[in-house]
Amino acid sequence: MKILVCIKQVPDLESRFKPNASNTWFDEADLAYRMNEYDEYAVEQAVQLREECGDSSDLTVLSIGPDRVVEAIKKALAMGCDRAVHIQDQAVSSRDPWQIASIISAYAREHKFDLIFTGMQSQDRGSAQVGAMLAELLGVSCATTVVGFSCKDNVVTAKRELEGGVKGVMRMKTPALVTCQLGLNIPRYPTLPNIMKAKKKEIIALPVADLLKEESLAKTTSFHPPAKKGGGLLVEGDIADQVDKVLALLKEKTAVLR
Amino acid sequence: MDLELTEEQKLIQETARDFANGELEPVAAQLDQGGDRGPLLANLKKLAELGFMGLNVKDAHGGSEAGVVAFSLAMTEIARVCASTAVTVSVNNMVCEVIQAVGTEEQKKAYIPKICSGEYAAGSFGLTETCAGSDPSGMCTQAVKDGNHYVLNGSKIFITSAPYAGVFVVWAVTDKQAPKGKGISCFLVEAGTPGLIIGKEEHKMGQHASATNELIFDNCRIPESAMMGKPNDGFRIAVAELAGGRIGIGSLGLGVGLAAMDYATRYANERVQFGQKVSSFQALQWMIADAYTELEAARLLLMNAACRKEAGKSFAKEASMAKLFATESANRACYTAMQMLGGYGYTRDFPIERYTRDARITSIYEGTSEIQRLIISREILKNLG
Ligand SMILES: Cc1cc2nc3c(=O)[nH]c(=O)nc-3n(C[C@H](O)[C@H](O)[C@H](O)COP(=O)(O)OP(=O)(O)OC[C@H]3O[C@@H](n4cnc5c(N)ncnc54)[C@H](O)[C@@H]3O)c2cc1C
Repeated sequence: MKILVCIKQVPDLESRFKPNASNTWFDEADLAYRMNEYDEYAVEQAVQLREECGDSSDLTVLSIGPDRVVEAIKKALAMGCDRAVHIQDQAVSSRDPWQIASIISAYAREHKFDLIFTGMQSQDRGSAQVGAMLAELLGVSCATTVVGFSCKDNVVTAKRELEGGVKGVMRMKTPALVTCQLGLNIPRYPTLPNIMKAKKKEIIALPVADLLKEESLAKTTSFHPPAKKGGGLLVEGDIADQVDKVLALLKEKTAVLR
Repeated sequence: MDLELTEEQKLIQETARDFANGELEPVAAQLDQGGDRGPLLANLKKLAELGFMGLNVKDAHGGSEAGVVAFSLAMTEIARVCASTAVTVSVNNMVCEVIQAVGTEEQKKAYIPKICSGEYAAGSFGLTETCAGSDPSGMCTQAVKDGNHYVLNGSKIFITSAPYAGVFVVWAVTDKQAPKGKGISCFLVEAGTPGLIIGKEEHKMGQHASATNELIFDNCRIPESAMMGKPNDGFRIAVAELAGGRIGIGSLGLGVGLAAMDYATRYANERVQFGQKVSSFQALQWMIADAYTELEAARLLLMNAACRKEAGKSFAKEASMAKLFATESANRACYTAMQMLGGYGYTRDFPIERYTRDARITSIYEGTSEIQRLIISREILKNLG
């Protein structure tokens, strides 16, 4: 079984973000980076599958970005991926999901992976499009927002999380792609010996120009913090009146009383 | 010159931080209250499985072979959340390193993998005695040769992890006639050896989850092969290995100091008095500036000592400087942090009082600040000839 897991390196969410000079993304200077949380679930699931299948399987981790993403790649290698592909791209943050999916598909198409894992979305951009688009570009089955996964005899059973806590179970033949949701598993901590040994694993570096053939379909026109809201809503009147007004508001604007 | 960490070092730091926040943080305050050590031992086991007990130990012996810088980073991250766990990890690493440095191949095989894998919850370092603290060469515990055995008699005090250690590195006098420090040898004593008695546990100010006990030798017979290094060379071994341990304790102190200041700074940025955040008062801003400047200097001293050790250069003076400055800065940082929280800092509802109690011992154990100054000045004066 040939397995691919796609990961993104994102800024630590504790960081303070400010827009960059062109107002199209955040300023990347002085940010601390780590693996996108959703992708940790993807890597863990891929590694578990790799371990189940044993040596007949092969697990590649792929990431697009500047040199700094090698740190996230090495974490995935330390968690148990066999090899890595680093698609070198200084301008990764300016790409829309269509371009990212196209780049990955250009690589994945010729390598014929049986299973592809991605995160459900990235913590920074949060478009949740790349996995689904990639499946479409490759013409393979796809299940998104997966919270349960198994694979037997080339059939994937994926439990999906739907709105309001409802779950759905899907079955699909490989080749297939799943996008992983929080709670799918408990990602392992990489062990220190494995972090050190990951140094010896192969990281294939490919320039993005070799794989990127598509123009972006959607352009970011502005990027800014939300405008400061006014002073909130003041509910007035006698107590009974106030309660009625608050109840009406909660019914109209929120889901808590439905 | 490059002060950037390698990718591996960053990942080890991240793993230590994630583990500390995920596994240590939920139990740290509860462990400080004393009582059941179950959660401590469970976390030590997990830390061992991840490779934190032999950071600077060779892969062939079951270590992580990650180096001294990584050791320092890991200690700081663990101590940011639980100093008791951190000191246990630091001593375990030191015990592994002593055995790696002077043990025979058999001794290395017998004990290092057991500490690294977590089969032993801990290893202990048994040097201090009631009459021999800052001056360990004044120790009284004796090892007398009897056929192909040594018989140990005497006692040790303040031995970290003694109740759950699987093996003890122990120093004892083998030649009473020799000049001071020239008649001490180093031994490995397994837990459960008849005549090895774990004595009373100290009631301490802080670091409650880490046990500190008396150790008694009552005609404790150990095989001749339990000696580590050459006969009567034990004091030199202790001095050399303590230098490495000081990088661990300095890094631990740094972690506690950072935890206190990070908490206090966030707090001051929310607490309102006189209609404004207290962080808007210059008095607190200067506290923040001074404490973080000291902690940053401590970090750089620690990195310097760790890099020198990793590069195989002399590092005893640098390790002492780093331990002295980091642990004293950590103590000041905790007091500053408490001041910034006002009365709340003094209560158990906030973590600063725990950090303050935990930090206090760091400028005492593994050589007091006075002893560090003695080592540093001796090294400097030595060069004048
Ligand atoms: C919680 C805890 C854990 C410990 N863990 C261990 C352990 O695992 N293994 C182990 O072997 N030991 C351990 N120790 C012992 C520790 O290392 C000693 O307590 C420390 O080295 C100081 O020795 P002392 O307590 O006898 O103080 P003393 O040596 O009696 O010192 C008293 C005072 O005199 C000062 N002083 C002494 N000599 C000089 C000098 N020449 N010049 C200037 N000032 C001087 C000291 O700095 C100190 O201020 C531990 C101690 C504690 C409290």
